[in-house]
Amino acid sequence: MTATDYSQLDPNVVRKFHFTREMVEGPVYRKYEKAIRKVWSVEDLDFTQDAKDWNRIDDEQRRGLLGVTVRFLAGEQNVTDELVPMLVASHALNRFDWIVYLSTFLMEEAKHAEFFMRWHDRVVGVLEPEEVAQHFLVRGKTIDPSGRFEVRDVLHEALPYYGERLLDATMGSTEAEIERAFVAFSAAYNAFVEGVLTMPSYEIVLDTTDRWNAFPTLRQGFKLILMDEGRHITFGTYACKLLIEKDASYEEEIHRVFDAYRGNLVGLVEYQKAVPGLDLDKYQTMKVRHYRNRCREMGITPDETLIEQILDPSIDFVVGVEAG
Amino acid sequence: MTALAKRWTCVEPGCEYELVAPDVASAIEGAQRHIAEAHSSFELEEMIEDVLEDVQSASGDEASGPARSPQALG
Repeated sequence: MTATDYSQLDPNVVRKFHFTREMVEGPVYRKYEKAIRKVWSVEDLDFTQDAKDWNRIDDEQRRGLLGVTVRFLAGEQNVTDELVPMLVASHALNRFDWIVYLSTFLMEEAKHAEFFMRWHDRVVGVLEPEEVAQHFLVRGKTIDPSGRFEVRDVLHEALPYYGERLLDATMGSTEAEIERAFVAFSAAYNAFVEGVLTMPSYEIVLDTTDRWNAFPTLRQGFKLILMDEGRHITFGTYACKLLIEKDASYEEEIHRVFDAYRGNLVGLVEYQKAVPGLDLDKYQTMKVRHYRNRCREMGITPDETLIEQILDPSIDFVVGVEAG
Repeated sequence: MTALAKRWTCVEPGCEYELVAPDVASAIEGAQRHIAEAHSSFELEEMIEDVLEDVQSASGDEASGPARSPQALG
């Protein structure tokens, strides 16, 4: 069979098409296909039993559970709002497979926000910003008594910061600068926030609903969300791995992000301690597993000092006193 | 041709569990079972799949054959 001669084709026409066989067989495109196969809808969920359970639990249980769920309600809105720089950068890097996958990523984050909005509305009866804000546990009241670590608001501080840096890089910077900023943004968004910090919170809610034998739809929603998050996290860590293979110096961006927000990982923060009666040591240990896994996915060396600090029982934040 | 098996190692602090499975699906199933039973926790399938290592199967053809229970090594 003779090879087809494409030399007469106009390159400007060829450039209008992005799909390749290599792309559609690659790991990122497969995540897109899986996301399409696994689409679920908040409209299909029934909140009736959760509303009944809300009416039978006591005030302490309500405060504890709301402390976590309201964080998720704010967090999911924020990650929906802050994802656009990754799409813009994927375009700048000519990664059409990343853009295709990120279209499902953005839709899923919006849907996760919708899930928490509906759950709070139909179960607790709060939806307007002022109604839910009163249940948000304030970060200023969580301190490290040793003074070594600062607990910062990663979601509302780091994501906008690294997102702006990434957007700036896409406006006229070199490819290497865009890649470096992409790694930093993904380290903050996918590896740190989604992949390590939030993992214990999912488990706290699953354990709570199990122990209380209550809130079946909250539990179901968390499991559906986790299914999506597995793709989100590993998209980010895979992209970091690819870029680090291209330039090993990008690895330092990841350690820099984790170091800047180290305080949020070494102890459990206020909303993670809000539900009474849980085995908190379990969540610190699993946090190390998730950190090691993210490093393994990205092909980088974990920071052993961070692991030691996460496991150090003497590092324990005090919740509910004014800082300073 | 020698078929490759899939190896997964647990990175929970203090745990040295390792499994070798004939294919990705069995490795995910075995890893999730280990995390649930040994650590009362969960591990998402993408997080397992992305860190699987290719290893030579103990008996080459088995790795490409029907799914079998993962072999715990530690």
